[in-house]
Amino acid sequence: MSSFTKSAQQWATFARSWYLIDARMQPPGKIATMCAIRLQGKHKPIYHALSDVGDHVVVMNSRHIAFSGNKWEQKMYSSHTQYPGGFKQVTATQLHLKDPKAIVKLAVYGMLPRNLSRRTMMQRLHLFPEDDLPEDILLNLTEELPQPREIPRRLNEYSQEEREAFPTLWTP
Amino acid sequence: MYRDLRYEFPYVLSPSAQKPNWDYHAEVQAFSSRLKECFSPELLKTAFVNPCYIQSEQERRQALGVDSEMAALVLGDNIQLHRQGLEFTKSFLSDWCRASFPRLPSMGVVAIVAHLTSHPVVCLVARNLAIEDLTMSAQFPVPDEVLHSTFLAVIGALQASSGAERAGLFLRDFLVTQLVGKDLFEMWSVVNPMGLLVEELSKRNMALPEPRLTRSAGAGTVLPLYFVGLYSDKKLLAEAPGETVLAAEEEAARVALRKLYGYTENRRPCDFSAQQLKDVTPSTTMSSIS
Repeated sequence: MSSFTKSAQQWATFARSWYLIDARMQPPGKIATMCAIRLQGKHKPIYHALSDVGDHVVVMNSRHIAFSGNKWEQKMYSSHTQYPGGFKQVTATQLHLKDPKAIVKLAVYGMLPRNLSRRTMMQRLHLFPEDDLPEDILLNLTEELPQPREIPRRLNEYSQEEREAFPTLWTP
Repeated sequence: MYRDLRYEFPYVLSPSAQKPNWDYHAEVQAFSSRLKECFSPELLKTAFVNPCYIQSEQERRQALGVDSEMAALVLGDNIQLHRQGLEFTKSFLSDWCRASFPRLPSMGVVAIVAHLTSHPVVCLVARNLAIEDLTMSAQFPVPDEVLHSTFLAVIGALQASSGAERAGLFLRDFLVTQLVGKDLFEMWSVVNPMGLLVEELSKRNMALPEPRLTRSAGAGTVLPLYFVGLYSDKKLLAEAPGETVLAAEEEAARVALRKLYGYTENRRPCDFSAQQLKDVTPSTTMSSIS
């Protein structure tokens, strides 16, 4: 920013970053918006749709995402094999069991702009069902983004003192 | 659409002295009034005459068979004025540099003055002030060296006519402004910035710089980016990016040197207000900006 040589400033401006997002206990839609913004490059002041300024995003623990409400049973994912009678509809649970990366992938795909750059941006999205990432990806990472949803604690995760300090209704 | 005459028929550049309606005396007067400076006309006309021109004129007269006693060439050349102008320019620019950048070492001052008095910069200024049209030289288009010496001769003439102060203001307004947008190390080529930084820190009794990798992106790809920070006694001196860790470290040393010498991009701009005197430091007169 301040007082770099012109070539160094340019290299730093146009370099592609690698962001890490932990999707444990997070709604896949919120994860997908964060990914889509960074894959397009909309978080940069040099953004232009034709300039290819998007970054890489690595999503880990995509097996442990958390839909709100009854979406696990009610949300349907449809596809058609192009053959007659080939219309398939599966619930989110069934899809997730079959492929733990599919829900996040479809969510991000739907949030990207519907043009030819979408496939390139999807190639820059790296999904991992658990938190064991390969070494070459780990080498490349720049920073981890904060999780969009604050994870609520279970009752057994509260200590005895906190439970006693919690306000209760007065009962006579 | 616009017709490009170069492709239409051969377009030959010719000096404006050979174009119609050229009045040399009027042009010289217009030159001095356009710049709002009072030049003495004889000194200014002498400043534009170059020794190569006098030589070529004498040869031409001899070739035409004109007797050298009958039509003697009564023109002084500008060598003396050129020397005076060069000396004055160098001293003024060095003083101005030292006043504006008090922490810059003498090598840096010498490099900045050398850049400002170099052929490309001086010829750019001279061409845009129409000195090339008024120069009398043997060749056309005027070679850079001839133009350079003519410009310095004009400065010498200005100093002799109006005094050192006016000449200093002229240099400040036309030559020093060429520094805008220029980085220190574009003008001053430093081969080993880390060594220079270590020297500077030891002069100021600060701890030696320790480089640390601050950020990295795409380290395993073909286009990596590394940010290296230099810490002196656990405090950050400078942080800079680079393609490799070594390049980033060298860049960080350069940024640290720029900060130490006070030549950063976010420094207070130079004062070009009308009442500025050349020997008063710019930093003390910022309050009097109109």
